[in-house]
Amino acid sequence: MMSERLMSAVCRLRCLGLALAVVVGASADRAFAESDSDFFEKKIRPLLAERCGSCHSAAKGKTRGGLALDTREGWQQGGDSGAAIVPGKPEESLLIRAVRYRDDGPQMPPKEMGGKLAEAEINLLVDWVRRGAPDPRTTAARIGGATLDDARKWWAFQPVRPTTPPIVKESNWPRTDIDRFVLAELEQRGLTHADNADKRMLIRRATFDVTGLPPSPDEIEAFLRDESPGAFEAVVDRLLGSPAYGQRGARHWLDVVRYADFHDGDPKARNPVCEPLEAWRYRDWVVESFNRDLPFDQFLVHQIAGDLLPAPDGKEPNTDGLIATTFLVNGAWDRGDADKEKMVSDMVDDQIDTVGKAFLGLTLGCSRCHDHKFDPVTQSDYYALAGIFYSTRMLKELGTKGGEITLQRRPLVPREVVEKRDQQVKQIAEWNAKLAELDKQSPKPPADDPARLELVAQRDRLQKELPPEPPATLAVSEGGVPGGLFPGIQDVPIHIRGSYTRLGDVVPRRMPSFFAGDRQPPIASGSGRRELAEWVASKENPLTARVIVNRVWQWHFGAGLVRTPNNFGMLSEPPSHPALLDWLAAKFVEDGWSLKRLHRRIMLSATYQLSSKVDGRGLMVEGQKQHGEAAAPSSPSTLNTQPSTTLDPDNRWLGQFTARRLEAEAIRDAMLFVTGKLDPATGGPASDNLAIARRSLYVQTARWDRSNFATLFDAANPDASDEKRNVSTVAPQSLFLLNHPFALDQAQLLADRLIREVPGDTPNVEAARIQLAYHLLFSRPASDEELAIARQVMAQTAEPTAESGWTDLAHVLLCSNEFIYID
Amino acid sequence: MNDRMTFDPTRRSLLRSMIGGSMLLPGIVSQLLAEDAAPSNPADPLAPKPTHFPPKAKRVIFLYMSGGVSHIDSWDPKPKLFADAGKTVPVNEFQGRKGDYKMFLKRPQWEFAPHGKSGTEVSSLFPHVAECVDDLCVIRSMKSDHTNHYEATLGIHTGSFTFARPSIGSWVSYGLGTVNRNLPSFVVIAPQSPYAGGQVWGSDFLPGAHQGTLVVPGPEPVANIQRRAASSRLQELELGAMSRLNQRHLASRADDPLLTARMKSFETAFGMQAEMPEVFDLSKESDATLKLYGLERGSTKGFAWQCLVARRLAEHGVRFVELIDVGSSGNWDAHGDMLTHAPLAKNIDQPIAGLLRDLKQRGMLEDTLVVWTTEFGRTPFNAASDAKGREHHHWVFSSWLAGAGVKPGITFGESDEYGINVGKDPVHVHDFHATILHLMGLDHERLTYRHTGRDYRLTDVHGNVVRDILA
Repeated sequence: MMSERLMSAVCRLRCLGLALAVVVGASADRAFAESDSDFFEKKIRPLLAERCGSCHSAAKGKTRGGLALDTREGWQQGGDSGAAIVPGKPEESLLIRAVRYRDDGPQMPPKEMGGKLAEAEINLLVDWVRRGAPDPRTTAARIGGATLDDARKWWAFQPVRPTTPPIVKESNWPRTDIDRFVLAELEQRGLTHADNADKRMLIRRATFDVTGLPPSPDEIEAFLRDESPGAFEAVVDRLLGSPAYGQRGARHWLDVVRYADFHDGDPKARNPVCEPLEAWRYRDWVVESFNRDLPFDQFLVHQIAGDLLPAPDGKEPNTDGLIATTFLVNGAWDRGDADKEKMVSDMVDDQIDTVGKAFLGLTLGCSRCHDHKFDPVTQSDYYALAGIFYSTRMLKELGTKGGEITLQRRPLVPREVVEKRDQQVKQIAEWNAKLAELDKQSPKPPADDPARLELVAQRDRLQKELPPEPPATLAVSEGGVPGGLFPGIQDVPIHIRGSYTRLGDVVPRRMPSFFAGDRQPPIASGSGRRELAEWVASKENPLTARVIVNRVWQWHFGAGLVRTPNNFGMLSEPPSHPALLDWLAAKFVEDGWSLKRLHRRIMLSATYQLSSKVDGRGLMVEGQKQHGEAAAPSSPSTLNTQPSTTLDPDNRWLGQFTARRLEAEAIRDAMLFVTGKLDPATGGPASDNLAIARRSLYVQTARWDRSNFATLFDAANPDASDEKRNVSTVAPQSLFLLNHPFALDQAQLLADRLIREVPGDTPNVEAARIQLAYHLLFSRPASDEELAIARQVMAQTAEPTAESGWTDLAHVLLCSNEFIYID
Repeated sequence: MNDRMTFDPTRRSLLRSMIGGSMLLPGIVSQLLAEDAAPSNPADPLAPKPTHFPPKAKRVIFLYMSGGVSHIDSWDPKPKLFADAGKTVPVNEFQGRKGDYKMFLKRPQWEFAPHGKSGTEVSSLFPHVAECVDDLCVIRSMKSDHTNHYEATLGIHTGSFTFARPSIGSWVSYGLGTVNRNLPSFVVIAPQSPYAGGQVWGSDFLPGAHQGTLVVPGPEPVANIQRRAASSRLQELELGAMSRLNQRHLASRADDPLLTARMKSFETAFGMQAEMPEVFDLSKESDATLKLYGLERGSTKGFAWQCLVARRLAEHGVRFVELIDVGSSGNWDAHGDMLTHAPLAKNIDQPIAGLLRDLKQRGMLEDTLVVWTTEFGRTPFNAASDAKGREHHHWVFSSWLAGAGVKPGITFGESDEYGINVGKDPVHVHDFHATILHLMGLDHERLTYRHTGRDYRLTDVHGNVVRDILA
């Protein structure tokens, strides 16, 4: 780990306006004459350090004007004004001009830093430059922020390795190969695992996990009764086959792709031209793709380049393909403002950033203004990709200065249908114009003029025939934004410091050079999006499969094997179980990129089925842990009971299951589910009404509205790709549950259900109703003590009516921790 | 201010009264009280935290004017602009577009005059605040990075001109925690949504507890604060039962801090129901105080109400209060006519003067920092010689600070002769932020949060504390 100080220094480096990509390797170094080296060390190095170092030192994190003078690369690359030194040519070297205090440029060092150098010092520098500026301060060959050597060694940039499950001691525990990987790590650390989760815990966990809803009492009952070895497998298959799986999976994915239904939370205030009003089609496509288990590589290609794919049935247009590209255009760019070119460059940046994080686990967006500071990504790589997205059209119109942008919509019906309708619209307009003309004549023709009547009749007939406007989707097409800086298909120049107003060299469109290596796919025609999509989705790409496998792991366990799922770069923490990650990635690709098989594989492992409860018994450490060193594993008779939570507080080694709070959507959906009111309808535009009984997936996410239910409970921020939700616990959440009409309505509805389903003449009616509530909410029966507490609530609150006591009890149970935490 | 800020009698006495009262079981209450004594609970992101060095300010009231207030019509007198109005100047960029432009200088709409002992010149746009100039440090060399509302508004709030990042209020909450657990640490009072909406007070990657709690002036200023249970007793009964069930649940789960934090959050919510309405209840404010702010008794509208509530929130221990005067339309964005500044100024002028005087007479100005700012200024020039409005101008604009730790009655920095560029001592938005954090006892380079593998700061990799304005 980097120290905070170093970190801060490195961050400052972000500001360097460096444009050069790969620095010449060490092999190209010229041999230094001893005297040159001596001269530099004795005269020049101290001078640079003393008189320039406080403002121009990369090591100190001070690089005024983008210039560092404490490395050779620093002056070679130079600052904002270009290379500081032209070796052998003092007169052309900016550094020499500056120290000479020429009037036509910067005068260095500035007055407040001690002012002009002594004449002798200036002469030394001139002499040095004239000698060719010998500078022995070499560094290894770099690309972007890493040495080539380090980048090649970085685990995530190497091909997925074939791995075999290791041999473990406790050989009767593993159910699947996953468990062998996990157990080997536990054993190596002298940790053991928890007990298996009991069946109630397991079905509750699995059901929330796969569907975002609790299990019904019947489903629990059936699982408890099924004593066959395949009982849980059957549950998993049932869950993965239910339509709710797609809704749950889609919600996870929508976080990653910064999805929002709208900008403005207020339907009346929405401006249709710039609002992503049709975004819901993309959301529905994601749900459906999850449900029909569209292979992930195809899922990915659709989102980057679906508009370029032929329709599976051969008919145009490819509606799914068009809809999938909403991915590229549903970003946080507001309505547009004065500086439209800046906005287009922000859109391109958003696309690079999102594609990088979502699919590759790379923070490519970091290279917008400068080479990446940690990863082998250069600013040229960034603008090579930027050319691809600049050559892609996402706006219909740029709009006027200060005016709104118009997002591009593409019709979801065949071209002929659109053209026919366009013609009809045109014809009606023509007839209207003719009518207006007639009416302007003087004398005005009488109302019953036969020619006029005929015209009116014709128009009305066509108007009646006119089909409604065809359905359309937000989608991209080939060619840049007309009226922008880069319309059409073209390579774009580097934007110095990320600004389109300062352009550097043009970079041909291509994939990031370190990663593509010598497998650079040629971009023959078009923007290059299709080539990009296929390159990302290729089996050879070391990142893509690992990144999605890690996400799915996180969806099940709460944390990924790599805990920064959007960043597999060189500053990220390596995976806890690298061999397991590679094994999963390899199997995933072998399985044809099937997400459902991946879920299944994970859920059928013993690791997934461990208990989350820590009681000190199931979690033990073998041997004595002394002086901070793990002791050698010893025989079971010397087991020392010590909860592994103290040794592995983050559960990095997966010795137990991590209990967690339900997400915002699951909390609301679970409330609707237990009251029996959940509306199973799927799809369509999102509602602004929290009170509807549909799943939360269909309640709107609006970028400008941060005061809604979902945000309160830590829903993803749709401004940028969200790799992992926060879990906050704040009083306003409790206020919502205590006082919001939605929460109170659900309490009322739950009470109604208890009373309805357990009629008053049932023997022991009170206990039966409480038990029903416990089964619905907590997937288990109530204990005697819990029955007693519930009865006490009823007795004390049954005013003014007995029914109101049930509502109060329902409210208490819906607010309780057990309802919104899963073990 | 007295010691009220570090000790919270309201909450403790409230809890104690519950022990006597009924349903919260004594054991739980004493546990909750014990947690107060040990504020280092890792699951409690709002626990008070030590500063990096002794602070001058304990709290901030951040006044943000939406749309871009013209500096040359308010805080930055430019006699030469009056004199040379109608002449042209060459400009190499206009509204984000590079080029060679000839622009017509436009005469400021309001006359300037020196005020107070300091003689700081303020225009007649702000006659009331002008009377308080001896308490202000007016910065006339502010700089921002963007010409659009959205980006510039994000920038002045989050230090980021591109993506949403945690807002300054969230950073302060994260850095210092809070002293009154019955109230949020960061409160935003805004009648309408500003540009960039909730991102302006969002916590982004910081824990959600640091996000600003939005108060919209009106009958229910805080969402869900009104107790809907039939009676307070009934709610106590419910909470008591919930506690017992949660205790049982917790017992088999190794004291998971998330579970205990949630139990605590209900108890805080209970406290907020009592204390929040109290803060918003202005009935006990004297006529003289209301008059100071220019607030009509019973009104919950306008900047006067916002300012008075801000003082009350500050008194009750809220760390960071932000007031936004108007939203993303009908604001200071005077493209069409500079005279639209007049009613907007009237809305804020007397209330701000009232706030400054009220804080001062209560001794609160000594440890309260009042900040006044906007996203950018407005162009001293126009493309047409007869234009009535002014365009966006981020190259230089004005803001001011007052109160804790700031030199009173001074101006800092200068714009050039026409107010087009910074003339002397630039104060970039990052410097402004660094200085505010410094006054709160926080080193902007050390106040970091690790997110996706890197440490983030409010000031990104920039920012210098403007030491010359520190008292």
